[in-house]
Amino acid sequence: VTETASHHETEERDLGGCPVMHQDFAPQQAAGCHWAMADDLRETSPVFFNTFAQGYWVFTRHDAVRDIYKTPELFSSESITPWEPDPIYRFVPTQIDAPDHIKYRRIVNPWFSPRAIDAAEPRMRALCRRLAEDVAATGSCDFVTGFALRFPTEAFLSMAGIDPADADLFVPWVEDFFGGFSGDPAGLEPMAQALAGIREYWVAALAERRADPQPREGDLASHLLHASFDDRPLTDAELLDMLTVLVLAGLDTTRGTLGYLFRHLATHADDRRRLIAEPELIPFAVEEALRLYTIVFGDGRKVTRDAEFHGVQLKQGDMVYALVSGANRDPRAYEHAGEFVVDRKRNHHMGFANGPHRCLGAHLARRELQLAVEEWLRVIPDFHVATDEELSERGGGAMMTLTRLPLAWDVTS
Amino acid sequence: MGHGRCYEMAPDLLAFDDEGYVTIRDGTIDVPAEQVGAAEDAAGTCPEQAIRLIP
Repeated sequence: VTETASHHETEERDLGGCPVMHQDFAPQQAAGCHWAMADDLRETSPVFFNTFAQGYWVFTRHDAVRDIYKTPELFSSESITPWEPDPIYRFVPTQIDAPDHIKYRRIVNPWFSPRAIDAAEPRMRALCRRLAEDVAATGSCDFVTGFALRFPTEAFLSMAGIDPADADLFVPWVEDFFGGFSGDPAGLEPMAQALAGIREYWVAALAERRADPQPREGDLASHLLHASFDDRPLTDAELLDMLTVLVLAGLDTTRGTLGYLFRHLATHADDRRRLIAEPELIPFAVEEALRLYTIVFGDGRKVTRDAEFHGVQLKQGDMVYALVSGANRDPRAYEHAGEFVVDRKRNHHMGFANGPHRCLGAHLARRELQLAVEEWLRVIPDFHVATDEELSERGGGAMMTLTRLPLAWDVTS
Repeated sequence: MGHGRCYEMAPDLLAFDDEGYVTIRDGTIDVPAEQVGAAEDAAGTCPEQAIRLIP
């Protein structure tokens, strides 16, 4: 193994007067700290240079974040973690640029389209209702492990045609993956092992399906085996890179948003009662949670050519960090930006990103979030946070998520 | 795949296809008077800010 010295040029580089920071976003923090940090960065400067890792630009406001998403020819998705420009994984289509990106998206888009979600809704609702009713009788739970992790995991595995019993395999892999994704050096080895575990799972699943003359109904891996890219079948590498990112994205993200949304409902009885009285507002409350409690602290891109962008001079190969959580709370873009407005209309948040790489699972995630609120409030209309201890959240290097959320409620027999 | 916000905000005006894109793209439509509010909501909600209302 040969190793080249990492390239440190920030000390001699002319940053054009851009404020400099040195911040590792990986460590766990008290819940809500990342949004406070995003607000503070955004109001201090529209752009920073973070000297952490090899150094990267941090754009903090709505207009620049939107422009990064809308200019994929300048901002490549080759790496989406600015502290790691050359990651050991390759997500397809997440890290693929034009012109191939849309060809991969076309293969998976129908699987996660509004029509597909509509078709899956009765099954997802029944699952959600069962989980909520199971937990309702107990009077208390850790919402994160007792509901927020279970519902999206089982819903996603069911959408993809994977045996729900395999959730016990996937959940620890996903935890270990995001431990390393965040940039924590101690997490790199568990991340590599988790990736290996996920790949072995799919290698076996693909081998079992490969001889089928027809795709299996409702089976995503089988569907991909029969899909075409430029009139050829997908390669094994492509199949594994697609299935891996689908599992990682499908299992982790909705859990994070559910935790923050239900912490809000537990601590805001007025909003909770309003959603019970006016359930037609639930979709608006979900969008507001996606905006105010954005779990994507920031989104990374790699600069494809030298260019001036929002007042700074970018060089080819630079990494940038679009601070999505700051943008979604930017008072330049939203009225009452720092408040949860339960019936907010015209909420054009970027919680599912923007531009060609906008979230494939957005329709699934939003339906899961809506169903969770509907079904939970039906059986547990009043609940509170059952601890005086400060809650904590996973670091912003991966998606933020509450590490636990103890909830309790009265049980009437 | 689109965000799907516009056809949720204005379901009587906008429709979606099998991939989740709104069916009217790079085109212009006439908005009936009773749908103007819904059209404004759709335009204001689009994360891509891709909808423009022409007075």
